[in-house]
Amino acid sequence: MLQIAWSVVRLIFWMVAVPFFIGQLFNFILPNDKKRRTFGITYLLGLLIYFAVFEVISIPCMILIKYDAFKYCTWIYGVICVVLAVLGACRYFGFLFTEKEDEEARKIKTSLDYVSDLKSMKIDTKIYFGIFIALVFLQMVMSLVYAPFDGDDAYYVVQSLQAQQLDVMNTVNPYLGRSNLLSHEYRHALAVITMWIGFVAKVSGVHATIVAHSVMPLFVIPLVYFVYYQIAKVLFKDKKDGTGRKELVPVFMIFITLLMMFGNVSINTPATFLLMRTWQGKTLFCSLGLPMILWIFLLMFEDVEKVREVQGGLKETAKVAAPWWIMLTLVNMFSGMCTALGAGIGAAFAALLTLILLIVSKRKTVVLGAAVSVIPNIVYVGIYLLLQRGLLHTIFN
Amino acid sequence: MYGIFRECWVTLRQYFGGYGEPLDNFRAYLYIIIFLAAAIYIAVRERNAARRVLLGFTPLVMIAGFLFPLTKWAYVSKIDPPVGETYYRILWLVPVYVVIAYAVCLLISRAKRYTFKTIIAVATVFVIALSGSLIYTNMYMTKAENMYHIPQYAINICDAIKDANGEGQVVAAFPTELVYFVRQYTTDIKMPYGRDYTDWTQEGYFHPVYEAMEKPEVINAKELVAATRDPEGNGNADVRCKYIVLKEGRKIDTDLTTLGLKLVATVDGYKIYEDK
Repeated sequence: MLQIAWSVVRLIFWMVAVPFFIGQLFNFILPNDKKRRTFGITYLLGLLIYFAVFEVISIPCMILIKYDAFKYCTWIYGVICVVLAVLGACRYFGFLFTEKEDEEARKIKTSLDYVSDLKSMKIDTKIYFGIFIALVFLQMVMSLVYAPFDGDDAYYVVQSLQAQQLDVMNTVNPYLGRSNLLSHEYRHALAVITMWIGFVAKVSGVHATIVAHSVMPLFVIPLVYFVYYQIAKVLFKDKKDGTGRKELVPVFMIFITLLMMFGNVSINTPATFLLMRTWQGKTLFCSLGLPMILWIFLLMFEDVEKVREVQGGLKETAKVAAPWWIMLTLVNMFSGMCTALGAGIGAAFAALLTLILLIVSKRKTVVLGAAVSVIPNIVYVGIYLLLQRGLLHTIFN
Repeated sequence: MYGIFRECWVTLRQYFGGYGEPLDNFRAYLYIIIFLAAAIYIAVRERNAARRVLLGFTPLVMIAGFLFPLTKWAYVSKIDPPVGETYYRILWLVPVYVVIAYAVCLLISRAKRYTFKTIIAVATVFVIALSGSLIYTNMYMTKAENMYHIPQYAINICDAIKDANGEGQVVAAFPTELVYFVRQYTTDIKMPYGRDYTDWTQEGYFHPVYEAMEKPEVINAKELVAATRDPEGNGNADVRCKYIVLKEGRKIDTDLTTLGLKLVATVDGYKIYEDK
């Protein structure tokens, strides 16, 4: 029992605390606004950086290290993340980087705007929020009660388990257990989310299959609804004249949760992916990555007027616009980490929305922002092509 | 071109209902109609230009783009040859749920009376439930037996093999229904064939152990043992199967114990034979 409790503590540390404090270290990226630098968004930012660091460390480890690659990857990544998280904790608790901060900035740093929202809510809005939270909780419980079968797990989950138990990174055939060339696994090797699950399993001491099937849904499902909640907050934002439709946020969220629960219309919908194969990279891309891209663009559309009003040239404009382009860059990295297809169609989605943003804002600099945000995708595709043609193997061996 | 368009249309319809899940055409079409109606409603009624474009016009353009034959041609030739099995994933870019939920909220916000608002909300819940299908009724959903979310009998069989074998890795041949789970539980057990053979048998892949163990109605024991002892036909000891797992009642012409194998355990209706 004590061992289980210790594993739970370690899971919370690596899946909640570390990304949160990494977010605290880097939340200067976010706009200095208590509606946008919240606990939740800071956590999301931290998580995206946490994933990006993993991608940057794990892919070279996988390509360059022949034996026990995952052991090195775990150590390097673990140490870097702990250092970042400790620095973030110091910043959060005010031990470091505090000279420049004024009182207002400190308040924003720990903004929990949900609490103030809650105070001003009507009773029926509170009830709708209660229903929404209950539905999310139900989905989380059902993810533990039910065990959906998916043949792809014989590939993805086993890759995580092999990383945990054998210290290999995509160099053993998961179906058979025989050694394999990395170039044979080129289609999936760069989608290192399986390795990240292996990392969490290793550092928490929990079997990778349990992490994938029982822990990941508890982590991913609320996160997905958090992103949809952010989308709702932008869509139902109060207008300047004070009239707003904020009370529709929980109603919107109830519809989203119900559409997910009743989305079993085919095995290809984001709903079936989210609730039946939550731990797979494809799911994380379509249920988390794509809604995040939509959310980021909704925010950028929201800021069009604000950017237009900014005086003082590119530098001042960048202060308003850059945070979301940085977020988009991180989401693009995350998409590639989830699935190779994500690096392509995630970028295509961003390109389409950029085009619309360009037309609406009439600001040419959005093309610059978009171009910078797809650099990780271009690098990813380059590595993918080298891997596919077996050239990386030739270069590094 | 018309043929490709028809293919795209079928993919679209099956995405909204029917692919891998028995759903009648009526509900599939209803879902498409609800989504298209929602997008058109936003395109017409939303006052905010950005939202009108993002959630109204863009989804409609994306659906049109999806149905456009050249899009599929480009996808198949450049991204997913030879048939574009994953073409449906383009539809993930269409925020279907956001569009439907936002359109209903827009409708609710336009309603003057609280009673109308409530009626619209309740009616939407019913329409979602009727046009969709509850995820927990999916045929692949089963009650979890453990935290691994794999069948308990698979775990018991693996444990029995590990107990019999002791430390280290070993190769074991399993019936099709087990190959998905064995290596999700332990990497100590390797297999002569896995899901790569059992799920794609129509591809004409050949593996001697699979051919001897799974294909015939009555297993030819001698052929099976010959295949498990030397799957590659070159004497490679690394791939020799030390264990064979057969379901009780599986028809076999000769008892494997008469061919030098030892029955080490019978677990949850499966016999585990050891071939030293």
